[in-house]
Formats: sequence, C-alpha cells, structure tokens
Amino acid sequence: MVLGVLIAFGEMLSPGTYTNVQITWLHLPPAPGPFPNGFSLVMGTLVDPISSLMLVVVTVVGFLVMLYSIGYMHSDRGLPRYYAEMSLFLAAMTGLVLANNLLEFFLFWELVGVCSYFLIGFYYEKPSAASAAKEAFLVTRIGDVLFLLGIFLYFSTYATAGPDGGWAANGFVFAHNSVPFLPLPGANTTTLTIAGLLILGGAAGKSAQFPLHVWLPDAMEGPTTVSALIHAATMVAAGVYLLAVASVFLGFTPTDQLAIVAVGGFTAFFAATMAVVHPDIKRVIAYSTISQLGYMVLAIGAGFAMVGLYHLFTHAFFKALLFLAAGSVIHAVGTQDLFRMGGLKKHMRLTAAAFAIGGLALAGIPPFAGFWSKDDILASVYSQLGTHPLYWPFFVLAFSAVFLTAYYIFRAWFLAFSGDGPRDPTLPAAHEGPWVMQVPLVVLSAFAVVAGLFVFVPGFQHLLVQGTVLGGIPPTYPATDLALSSISVALGLGGIGLAWTLWGNGRVFSLAETSPVQPLRRLLLNRYYFKAGYDAIGLRAVYPFARATDFVDRFVIDGTVRGLERMFGAGSDRLRSIQSGLVSDYAAYVVAGLLALFVLLLIVGPYLLGRFGGG
Amino acid sequence: MSLEELAFLALALVAIATAAAALLVRELVHTILWIAIFFVDLSAIYFLLDAPFLGVLQLGVYAGAVTILLLFGIMTTRKRIFSRESATGIGPVPVALALVTFVFLVSALGELPPSTSTIATYDPTALSENLFGPNGPWLLLLGLIMLAGVAGAIYLVREGRE
Amino acid sequence: MTELALTGFLGLSAALVGIGIFGILTRRNFILLLISVEIAMNAAILNFVYFAAFPSGTHGLSGQAITVVLIGFAATEVAVGLAIVLALNRLKGTINVARATELKL
Repeated sequence: MVLGVLIAFGEMLSPGTYTNVQITWLHLPPAPGPFPNGFSLVMGTLVDPISSLMLVVVTVVGFLVMLYSIGYMHSDRGLPRYYAEMSLFLAAMTGLVLANNLLEFFLFWELVGVCSYFLIGFYYEKPSAASAAKEAFLVTRIGDVLFLLGIFLYFSTYATAGPDGGWAANGFVFAHNSVPFLPLPGANTTTLTIAGLLILGGAAGKSAQFPLHVWLPDAMEGPTTVSALIHAATMVAAGVYLLAVASVFLGFTPTDQLAIVAVGGFTAFFAATMAVVHPDIKRVIAYSTISQLGYMVLAIGAGFAMVGLYHLFTHAFFKALLFLAAGSVIHAVGTQDLFRMGGLKKHMRLTAAAFAIGGLALAGIPPFAGFWSKDDILASVYSQLGTHPLYWPFFVLAFSAVFLTAYYIFRAWFLAFSGDGPRDPTLPAAHEGPWVMQVPLVVLSAFAVVAGLFVFVPGFQHLLVQGTVLGGIPPTYPATDLALSSISVALGLGGIGLAWTLWGNGRVFSLAETSPVQPLRRLLLNRYYFKAGYDAIGLRAVYPFARATDFVDRFVIDGTVRGLERMFGAGSDRLRSIQSGLVSDYAAYVVAGLLALFVLLLIVGPYLLGRFGGG
Repeated sequence: MSLEELAFLALALVAIATAAAALLVRELVHTILWIAIFFVDLSAIYFLLDAPFLGVLQLGVYAGAVTILLLFGIMTTRKRIFSRESATGIGPVPVALALVTFVFLVSALGELPPSTSTIATYDPTALSENLFGPNGPWLLLLGLIMLAGVAGAIYLVREGRE
Repeated sequence: MTELALTGFLGLSAALVGIGIFGILTRRNFILLLISVEIAMNAAILNFVYFAAFPSGTHGLSGQAITVVLIGFAATEVAVGLAIVLALNRLKGTINVARATELKL
C-alpha cells in the first residue's frame, strides 16, 4: 500500500512521466503471413498517470478491507482460504493495473475473474452462493470472450500499422511516445469500430453494465468484505479501467463512443430504478455500484477518460465505505433485510455516521467526494452534447438517476438506522465491531469526505490532465458549470427529502395493493424479468446442446482416456519391477544412459550427417 | 622416451594399480591405505604438470582430510576395525559397462593430435588473482555449497531423530 | 621445459573413470561406493589440470582455478557422504546399500 501511494506521489510531483519495464516473452521474426513485420509478446509493468491513480485505489482500499476482515471474518472456518484468495486477488489486480500490453492485461483480467468466482462462492455449502458464483463466472465469461475477440481483432489490424511499422512486432505495448492509433493510415475504420465494440462488451461483462448486469446483485452472496473490495471498489472497476486505457491508447471511433455513452447512460438510470424497491441492504448498494459504473462509462464514452477514472477513484472510497458499514450492520444484527432492521443509530453511532457520509458522497452533496466527480462527469458530458443528437437522451437519463440515487441510499439509511428500535424484535442487540472494523470505517469516511477535494491539489490535477496522454479532451477541474451543479445538488437534496418523508423516523411507507404503481414495483423487484429471461434461454437453447456435448464427452473422449489409462497402467506395472531400490542398479541405468548418449553422439550422429549431408 | 614421460608412465601405472587395489581388497582398512597412496600419486602428477599449488592442495585435502574422514567413517560404523568384507560377486554387466565406457573414452582420444608440447606453467600468485577475480563467482558458489553441505551433514547425523 | 603428450594423460583419466564406474556398480559397502565416486571425480579433476597445462586459448589459468573449486566440492561431498553413512548405520545397523531399498515402490 505504501509503495502504491508513493508511486502515485511520484507521478504527481513529476507529471507526465511514465516508467515502462518489460521483458520479451516470445518473439517471432518477420515472416510472410498475417504478421509480416514479426510478432512478439512481452510481459512488463507500466506506471503512468492512469495506472498510478488505480494503484492508489487498489492498494489503499485493499489494505483497509484486509484489516476490516480480521474482525468481520474472525470466527469463520474458511479464514485461511479467505485470505489466500483475497491475496491472490490483490496481486492479480495490481498486475492488471500495471500491465503494459493488452495480452498481459487479459491474463490478469481472467485471474481477477476467477478470484471473484472463488470469493462469491466462498460459502459454497449454500446453494444460492454456489449458483451466484457460477452465474457471475458465466456472465463475465461472455464479456471475456468478446474482449479476447477484440484483442485478436486489434492484433490483426495493427499487424502492419502503428509505430515502427508494426505494433505487433513490438508486443502491443501501450505506447506513450507515439501518435494516437486513430485515425491510422491503413487501418479499416469498420474493423476498428467492431474491435472497439468488442472491448466494450468485455468491459460491460466485468463492470456489470447493461445487458450483462445480472450477475453483480447476486454476487452479494459472498462475504461483505469481498463485495466491498471486489464488487465495488476494484474488480468491477477493471472494466471501466479497460475502457479508459483503450480510449487513451487505442482510441474509439465515433460509433463506438455513441455505443459506450448509450450503455453507460442507460445503465446508470436502469440500475438505479431497481435499487429503489429492493429490501436487501447489500443489493441496494450493489445496484448503486452498477449505476455509478454506468456514470464512469458514460464519461469515457463522451471522451473524458480521466473524468471517468476520477469518479472511479472517489467512488472506490465511498462505496467501500458503504459496504463496510453495511457489513458492520450485518455483523451486528445477522440479517440483510432492511425491513427487519431499524433504530440502529442508537447502538451503532460510528457505523450510522459512516453510512451517512457514504450516502451523502454517493448522492453528490457538496463537499463530499461524490459531488466533485459526478459533477465533473455531468458537466463534461453536457459540454459534448453537440457532438451527436443521440447523446441527449442518455444525458437526461443519467441526470435523473441523481435523484433516484439520493432517494434509494437514504431510504436504506432511514430504514436501518432511524426509528425507535428494530421492526423485528427477534433481532439480537446491536453493537459496534472490534477496533479493526472501526479503523477502516473512520479512514474511509475521511477519504469519502476529502477525496473529491484532491482535485484542488495541483499535483493531483496534473495527474488527471496528464492522463489524457494521447487523445481525449483535457477536462477542466473542478467542473465550471454552476447552473448544472445547482440542479444536480437540488435533485440530490430532493431525493433525500422524499426518502425522509416516506421512511424517516421509523415510518414505513407501503403501497396499497390496488395502487396503479404496484405492477411497476413488481417489475422492478423482479429486475425487469431479465434473470428469468436468461434462465429460459439457458434451459431451452443451451441445455440440449450441453446434453449433446456431455454425451460426446462421456463416451468418445472419456472412452479414449480410459483406454489410454489401461494401457499405461499395464505398462507401468511392468516398469515398476525395474524400481529395485538398489543404488547400484540406479547407477547402472545412469551409466547405460551415458553410453547411449555416447553412441548417439559418436556413431549415430556422424552416420546421419554423412547420410543426409547436413551441416 | 624422455625422463618426464617415463615418470608419468610410472605414476599412471601406480595410480591405476592402487585404484584397482583399493576396490578389490577385502579389508576396508587396506582400502584406505591404497586410496591414500592413490591420492599421493595424483598429487605427484600435479607436481609433474607444474601445478605445485594444486599438488599441495591435493595432498592436504585428499591425502589428508578425505582419507582421515573415510577412516573415521569405518571406525564409527563397525565394532572391529580389521574385519573383512564378505565377498561380493562381480556380475558381467557392471564389468562390461565399465569396460565399454573406457573403450569409448579412449576411442574418442583418436580425435586428438598425438604430438607432444610444452607444458604451460603458472605462478601461484596469478592463480590466486584469477580465483578472486574472474572466477570469483565459482569460489562463492563453493562457499555456499560447503555451507549447505555442513548444514545437511549436521542434520543427517543429529541425535534423536526417528 | 617439460614436454609431454596430452593423449597419455587422457588415457589415464579414462582408465580411472572405468575403475570408478566398476566400483560404483559392484560394491555394496557405502564407504567403498564413496571411494569409487572419489576415484571417478579425481579423473575429472585431473582432466582440468591437463587442459590447464596444455592450453589452447587464453583460459589456461581458469582450469587450475576450477580445480581448486572442484577439490573443495569433492571434500564437501565426502563430508555429506559420511553423514549419510552414519545415518544409515544408525537406521539399519549396517552400511550395506543392498539393505537400503526404501526407494522401491
């Protein structure tokens, strides 16, 4: 963690510098074929403004969550497994952030994916956790395949293009010292558009963007600390990071940009609506994560990669804070159902305050962190509305999501913390966790308050501006559009106000069964029937296919494998008689082998050379 | 035949004879005696090759330390020092393998020019400079391996192990 | 100055390696095994000294330097070997390697 922060400080002090260390893993010389200039794969680390920003997030939040876990997981039998998997995840995430080329990026990308799978299924005895892990893995896999196809497409497109006559020959390293790849002479725009869309698909899978969003709410089956680290602050942000890196180093075509804006803006609104009705505290926060990731994607689509990453930076802190505060509540009362809680404010002052700070930051109320970054996004996108008429609807969607965000997060706060006591009297008496759980809350609260103000620090501002190394529009910090800011703050306050009227002071608002809004509520609770739809597709189309492949696997492939096994079994029975255990016998084998080498070297070799006339 | 060649021939014959004798005698202490003579003989060959430093080293390490160590091993592992080994049958396969190896090695000598040449001599000072200069890493490696060897040996003979 | 032929020396080495291999393959006493290994090893060391004495390049001195290192290696080897002898003796009451067949499946 210290190292990560130091690196970031170094970047702030000497803006615009970057460090690239790499070794060549595989090099193919130039040859006729798809890669006339040669092809190489490199492994390396690249520290530049973009990655140093991510590095701070990953290491700081990672450290705090690990600390918190000591208290949260202390009585769990799987503790060693938990820490092993979390450490592997952190290592992979750091590698992903520092990767200096697309292929290495993809390797670590898969590694964090598999860690996420392990950790969602951490309570694997629970069927719901196991199936949630499977779901997360399969849905992100769709994105991963798209991403891999995108990489292939970029590889083949840039086989002859790019700096030094072939990006492929140089290992596809994200190059700082070259011109942007777009528009590139010789590269086909249609191909690049498709490649960009494939990358977007990968990012959508990882960052749970529409229509691959279904897995993230279910991923809440894992321990809350996992949700805080992986499914709020870091791994799901990897998709956003990928988009940012791609937009800076690869460039997107205008069509790609429109698609990204559409996905981001729509997801921001879409996910927020589902959070409005949900009774589970963790899932409410999960939907808000999807929605906030939508904002980041929106900003990147509009050409402001660094604004998106700035929101990622602040979001990581306040979202981890919200999750850890929620974890504190769950730890204390043993349920995630908001409607059973209530009045926790009295017993858990620190947690209530932390959750409130996180909520204010999320709702975009100044001076909390979320305000600055969310405002930057809205202002930046607003300034680009002239680029394409279709930007308008998505901007409006994202803008109205501000209201929903403020409403649902404070609905959760009022339900859990305000009122006289728990609505369900069977709940155990609430209490704060041990100090290892309180310290991260305090530290993250501090970050949630001041992380947005970092933008007034010249070095940090430099970092953000320098991040748009090659392309993109250099943003202005902080956002300058005062009118826009006031509207969004007003919307946020309005949302909080509505939440207070409906749920404040222990009130419980319930819709009449005959209310005309009732069908809408059911639609939202069932998540727009997306999951049911996916299940149906899976059952109808995929299952018969799976049966067929299973048949082939069982009888054709397994049959071959068993035959081989019998063959080797019989052979090894005979071979084991050689294993006498006598040192002298082994020495005899060694000498015999040596002699065989002599024979090869002195007799067979010269004979072959003489016969075939080799060199 | 020059005097040096004559000396070498004699030393070589003694080396082969003592090595063979060391392995063929039935009494282990006699083996140690023969092998001590073998080591001294090799050191004489080093002197003949104008490598006095190596000769002294051979005398000290092999004829001295290694011989004593081997003797010590015999003393600690048997109740009576002068006791005979039971005869072991010599199968045809090991002898054949050893012979074939020898023949192969000698046949490979045919590739070399048989001419005689002057022996290069080196100053021991130059040797030590070389050892602590370009070949320094080897010396370091030797030190590490010796350390590991000592640690391993102590671990192996530690009392109270199962 | 001394004048000698390289071939004779290498022949001596070959003979010693042959004797060493013979000993390794036939002897059952661990100490004799060790001695056989030492004989073969000395043959290799001798080769280094020969090639230092008949240098074909500028690296003749390295041959002698490596010899020093190799003698050290051999001494370490004997020390470890004797430790094995003692351990074997305590474990089995004998140092006959024909009795140590734990490696057998």
